[in-house]
Parts: sequence; structure tokens; C-alpha cells
Amino acid sequence: MKSIPIDVKMGVDYLLEEQNILEVKDLSVNYISREEKVKAVDKISLNIKKGENLGIIGESGCGKSSLALAIMNLITGGEVTGNVFYKNTDLLKLSEQKLKKFRWQEIAIVFQNSLNVLNPVLTIKEQISEPIKTHHNFSKEQIARKVTELMELVGLDTRWEESYPHQLSGGMRQRVLIAMALTCNPKLLIVDEPTASLDRESKTQIINLLNYLKKKYKFTMLVISHNMKTIKQLTSRLITMYKGRFVEIGLTEEVIKNPEHCYTRGLLNSSPELFPYKDLWGIKGSAEEDTDKGCAFYSRCPQSNQNCQDKKPELAYVGVERMVACNQGGIITFLDARDINKTYKLENGNYLQAVKNTGIQVRSGEVVALVGKSGSGKSTLARVLVNALKPESGEIYFLGEKNENERATKMIGGMQIVFQDPFTATSDRLSVLEVVTEPLDIIKWNTPALRKEKAILLLQEVQLPTTSSFLNRSCQNLSGGQRQRVAIARSLVTDPKLLIADEITSMLDPSVQANIIRKLKELQINKGFSMLYITHNIDLAKKIADKVYVMQDGEIIQKGSSSEVFHERGYNYVSERTESGIRSFGGSK
Amino acid sequence: MKKRGKSRIVEYIVTLLIIITLNFILPRLMPGDPFLFLSTDQGQDVMYSEEQRQQYLEYYGLNKPIIEQYVLYLSKVIRGDMGLSLYYNEPVINIILRRLVWTFFLVIMSVIISTIIGMILGSISAWHRNSWVDKILYFKLIILSEIPSFLLGLILLFVFAAGLNLFPLSGAITHYAEFDNGWEKVIDVLHHAVLPIIALSVTRLGGTYLLGRNSVISVLNKDYIRTGRAKGLSKVRIIGNYVIRNALLPVITQVFLSLGGLVGGAILVENVFAYPGLGHLMRESVMIRDYPLIQGIFLTVSIFVLTANYLADLIYVKVDPRIKNNSDTESQ
Repeated sequence: MKSIPIDVKMGVDYLLEEQNILEVKDLSVNYISREEKVKAVDKISLNIKKGENLGIIGESGCGKSSLALAIMNLITGGEVTGNVFYKNTDLLKLSEQKLKKFRWQEIAIVFQNSLNVLNPVLTIKEQISEPIKTHHNFSKEQIARKVTELMELVGLDTRWEESYPHQLSGGMRQRVLIAMALTCNPKLLIVDEPTASLDRESKTQIINLLNYLKKKYKFTMLVISHNMKTIKQLTSRLITMYKGRFVEIGLTEEVIKNPEHCYTRGLLNSSPELFPYKDLWGIKGSAEEDTDKGCAFYSRCPQSNQNCQDKKPELAYVGVERMVACNQGGIITFLDARDINKTYKLENGNYLQAVKNTGIQVRSGEVVALVGKSGSGKSTLARVLVNALKPESGEIYFLGEKNENERATKMIGGMQIVFQDPFTATSDRLSVLEVVTEPLDIIKWNTPALRKEKAILLLQEVQLPTTSSFLNRSCQNLSGGQRQRVAIARSLVTDPKLLIADEITSMLDPSVQANIIRKLKELQINKGFSMLYITHNIDLAKKIADKVYVMQDGEIIQKGSSSEVFHERGYNYVSERTESGIRSFGGSK
Repeated sequence: MKKRGKSRIVEYIVTLLIIITLNFILPRLMPGDPFLFLSTDQGQDVMYSEEQRQQYLEYYGLNKPIIEQYVLYLSKVIRGDMGLSLYYNEPVINIILRRLVWTFFLVIMSVIISTIIGMILGSISAWHRNSWVDKILYFKLIILSEIPSFLLGLILLFVFAAGLNLFPLSGAITHYAEFDNGWEKVIDVLHHAVLPIIALSVTRLGGTYLLGRNSVISVLNKDYIRTGRAKGLSKVRIIGNYVIRNALLPVITQVFLSLGGLVGGAILVENVFAYPGLGHLMRESVMIRDYPLIQGIFLTVSIFVLTANYLADLIYVKVDPRIKNNSDTESQ
């Protein structure tokens, strides 16, 4: 997926064709506290089309709420620059007095639910009716009727009218906030974290309510949330924000299915609502001190390089309706294998096509699980990928270049494989140290002393002892678990960008298996390499996979993000398909 | 609410009982007795012989066992009888009620003035937080409030009464003056009260200013102020319904809580200005060892403090809906 750099302006022009309700230009928000200047929003431009549902996601502190407040010119204690055009009026240039015409009547906001967001000394009724009193010339009865109407609309019993905010539950308060926002029929509704701190049932109710109200009143909606499910159900377009900048823009469904920025993917991967089975791993590190130089995500990105430290990425198109701010054009594809065919000639003269027209892709920083019962062709495919077997046809690209003559496996930062059976993969005769340094010895990397140093480092990382007695112990004296760890250390010694793990735990007992899997995942998160995890164990795959390929009879019969394959279409689907696959495969044998 | 109210009242009754007991014991721990005082030269008008002294001790029951005196005292107090003043020879309750009016007048006026001014200055400071206005106000008011009230009273007395002759030197009303109408009388009373009220108010001002300032600052930072602005409400409405209504809550409680303490504070000021309030009376009665009167004053002040505290409790519940709800749930 090569990035096609298109001038950002072009994108803006294209969006202008449709009627924009709001145009934000070079908006910056800086909070100044003592000597520090905190950039909350950093030169953002954004257009919201009339009638659209736009979502903004990002970790807390990324500037999404500041953006919402700046749109309504509500920032206090901060410095706001740029323009916010609402129907050709720059809201940032208006006085508080003139803003009254726009606030609530044109743009209203459902604030993030907290006890302090409502005035503690006024009743619910008073707070809902206030904007009506201010902005309309209604009689007392009309106002009372309107309040009752609104409360019924949001599903709030009118007996709460005379209550004070602290007497309501979180869900009820959220409804009050929504009712309050609708008092003057706003054209643009900003909704800030509508479902945070609500229980599952209330969450669903609020989402349904917002969708219903949206259909009924046809307002434009800007939803800010860190909850992916909320965003998924409420919006059609999605913006990912990091440290005050937009890093990815695209259609909600597409972005969730296939994020193009490492940060978006990190956010998605941290969401239990999308991945109910997978172990949750957040994005490593935390948003650090702001530097004007380079990419803000540099320190946390699994694929960052020197260039990213110096160059600030701009938003650029990487596909239709998809923009990403990344110096490398979004998530890089490490491995791209296409149309692989491999046939074995059996002893009885028959042919067995183990891999049929199969393709597989692994991108940076992701764990791809290749699942299927034994004999479905998974290991054959793995061997083909590392040039251990020669396919009849098909092409394998590693980092955009054709992988031939073991190019990828011989380089530093290349591709490595760990096999199922540690006893055959590591020589009985060699010592632990020899086994681990062997890949470096082969390519004659640096001096032997440095190789030893590197090997010791990796042995530490896989939690093996590094005493000289252990280093010199011959491999045959190790247990299965230890030996598999040695194999993993050996494969990581060349700092591979892609690790192919072929049933690496199937010979181990469950406890050792759990330890190794978690260790491997931790190393993967910290070092940022990608993994192609080959297994027949669907339960294990569910735990760690970001993407899944299901293989049967040498063919890929299903692929997608693990949330799609395991969650949405259902577990049974996979197991039935693979099991029936095994049966048919067994039948042809 | 009821349950909480009940236990509260029991608490107050117990407190009052302890105070009454202390009130009974404390004067008796002082050296000497009223008739000893009246028997010396300082007693001025009358001189008692040892015989007469014993006679009086018996008459007032002061030679009875202490427990008996206590029980007698308790039963009388409950009936509202604080006894006869030894010096004035008049029911204590009458003397106190006559003087209490003046003290009330001083205290309530100074509370109103200091609260209003303190709140306004506090709000100005909060609004312009960290600007020069805020800094100057803060600095000046802290210094001002550190001056003891009697010292300030003396300075005021020297400068405005003795020096500039703008105000009378002492008293609450011009003696033997005949007023043409009620209005003139009011003017005269106010004229006498200006300096004591200023002295009391200024001392209190620093506290109310700080409280008002902090309260407004914390309210201004609350999310609901932003909600009000977002709703496009008028400035008047935001300041009235959002800022003031919320910022006043702690101030109101503070006013009622401080009422009791202020009566104590007024003692010094009243003495400086020879103002005929309770404080002035207290000093007099201590000088002459007038047990019933001293006890009566102490008791009155105590009851006043307790009532003020109780009122603070009640008022706070009234003005802050959150407290009301909490006590509701407690009773359920």
C-alpha cells in the first residue's frame, strides 16, 4: 500500500464541494501554566459536512475535548489561534455577547458526563428550560410543555423535573445533558464521551437514543469518544487524534477494519469491545513531552526510523477517503506473498498440492495468526516464505523487495523462523551460546565478543540464566521449554522485523506454553517486530492474533481482523469450517 | 432527617449542660467573694462588716454545700431565673436583655457589612485573579485583618473621635438628650455605633474576603460555569444563578458560625468604646464579682453561640440541595 502524497489542500477543496456546516482552519489551542506551554491542539484543519456523523478518537489528553470547546469558543485559560467558520462567520472573532446567537441555537454540546457539569443548585427543569428562556420568547406554559416533551423524548421520567443533579444516576444525567442540548434544535451537535462511565445497558440505550434523535432532527454530529463501539455505532467518518494533531482520517468502518496508522491500530487493539478474546496490550509508553521536531508518535511507534525523529509528517492520502500522517505512508507491509503454489510428490507417485494459490500479508507491528488443522498446508507455506522450500509459482516480497536466496533470513532486521520442535531445530551437540550466536556467525556480524554480548542480552530477555555454566551447557541437557526459549533467543538475535512462529508451543505443557506466549507477545510489543503465528490451536490464536488467516486444504478460506473472524462472524463459524476442512483433507489422503 | 435532627438536638443539650456546669464552677474558683469586694475600699458606696458579710452569704445561699448550690442553680436556670444581680439588685435576666440589644446591634451590623464588602472584594479578586488588583487587595486585607480589634478601636477613637471630633467618644446614645422624632434618635444611635462597627467589621473583613475569594475561584473553575456559557446564557444569569448561588454556600455557613465568636470579639471593642453592650457589662461584673451576673452573661453568650451553630446547620441544609438529599438518605 504505497502512499500517494496528495497536497492536503486538494483534500480540503474536494471536501468544500459538499456543503460544509463547519470549517476549522489552522486551529491551535495552547494552555499556558506557569512557565510551561502545553499544546492541546496543534494547527488542525477540519471540515464537517452538513448532516454527517464525524467521530474523533484518541487517548485522554490528545486534545479532542479542547477541539470541541474551541469550536464553541469556550476555551478559558488558553490561547486559541486559527479560524472556526460556522456558515462563514468566524466564531473565534466574536465577543461573548455575539456568540450567544450561535451557542446552543446553532451549535450545542453534550458535555462529558460528570457531576460538576450541571449546576448543583438548580433543578433539572430549571437547567433544561434556561436556554429556552434565553433564546426564545416562550410563555411559561410553553416552556414547561417543551421541557416535558424533551424529557419524554430522551426517556427521562418527568417526576425527576424537580430533582437536583446529584440525585440522578449517571445514565439519567447523560439523558438530561442530551435533553438540554436539544432545547434549541441545534444544527450541529457536539457529543463528548456520551458513554464513558455508563454500564453496558445504559451505553446501548444512549447510543440508540442518539441515533434515533439524529434521524428525527437531522442535525450534524461530532462525537468524541475513546470507546470504539460508541464511535462505530454513531459515526460514519472517523478521525484519530494524537497530541493535538490528526494522524488518520477515514470512513469509520474501514478504519476500524483496517487501520493505516500505527496509533489508530494501537487504540483499536486496546479495546476489549472489539477484541473480547484477545489479551489486551496497550500502546507502549505514554505521550511524552512535546517536541516540535519530528513525528509526535516517534517514541511509541513500532516502525519508526531516524527520519521520523526529524521530519514532521503531514496528512496525505493513502487510499480513497483515507488520509494518514505518517512519514512511511502508514503501516508498512513487511511481508507480501502472492499466489503461492507448492506441490509434493508422494512416494506412491501421486501429487499432493499442499499450498494452492495462497497469499498472505504481514504488516509492521502486527500478529497474524495462520490457523488450520495439521496438514492444511500451514508449515509448508511458512517454509516457502523463508525460502526453505521452493514453490512452483508465486512471489514473496519482503519490505518491498523480492525474497530470494534467503535474503530476508540472512539480514539483520529481516525475517526469522522458530520451529515447532526445538529438539531438531537446535543441535544437541552445540552449547547454548553457540546455538544463539550461530545466525550472527553465519553472516559474520561484528566481532565474536559483540555477538556473545548480544546473545546474552537475548537470553536474558527470554528469561534464561546467563551464567557461564549455562552458556556452555550443551543443548541436549535442556528441558523442552528451555530449549524452545533458546530457539526464540536465537531467532531474535538478528533483530528480525518479522518472526514466523510455527507451532512453537505445541510440544510444551500448558504452563510453559502460557509463559512463552506471553513472553513472546511482550517482546513483540516492546521491540515492535511482527509475528506470523502458525497454530492449529484456535484458542491460542484468539488470545494473541490481530489478524487471522484460516487455511484449509492448502487454501486460505477466510481472512480478516481477529475481531471480525472470531467475534462478529462467531467462533463456531471458524471451528466448523476448519474442522470440516480437516475432514475433507483427511478424506483425500 | 428526623433522626439526624434528634441526635443533633441531644448533642446541643449535652453541650449546654456541660456549659452550665462550668458556668457554675468557674466563678467559684476565683479568689474572694462578692461581699469581700463590697467590704473593701474599692466597693466605694457600701461597706460591709464581717457580720453583715456572713449574713449576706447565708441570704444568697453561698454558704451552703456546693452540691446543693449546684442543684438549686440548675433548677433555677431551667426556669429562666438567673437570680438577682448582687450589685444592681435587679433580676440578671433583665439587665442582660437590656444590654444584649446593643451587642446584637453591633455584631449583626458588622457581620452584614463585613460579609457584603468581603464578598464583593473577594469576587473582584477572584474575577481578576493574579492581576495587580487581586494582589493589592489580597495584601492589604490580610494586613488589615491582622490588627487586633481593640487596637484598631483605639486608633479610630484617637483619630476620629478625640482628634477630629467627628464621632462621640463613648456610649451608645446621647444621655439625657431629647429627640424631636424617632429619626433623630436613629441617627444618634448610628452616630455612636459607627466606630465600633467599623472596628469589628474591619477585623472580620480579611476572613470573609479570603473565603469569598476562594469560593468564587473554585466555582469559576467548575465545569457548570462553562455549561452556562455554552448554553448562551446572559452574563447576569451566569453570575447570579451559577457563580453567586454556588459561591455563597460556604460563606453563609461561615457567617452563622462566626456569629458566636463575634459576640466574644465585641467584648473588647465595647470596652474600648464604653459601649453599653454585653461585653462591657461582663467586664463590670467580673470587677465586682457579681456571680449571678457573670454566670448569666456566660450562659447567654453560650446559648447564643450554640444557637448560631444550630442555625448554621439548618441554613446550610436549606441553601444547598446536596446536603438535604444526603440527610434524606440517611434517615431511610
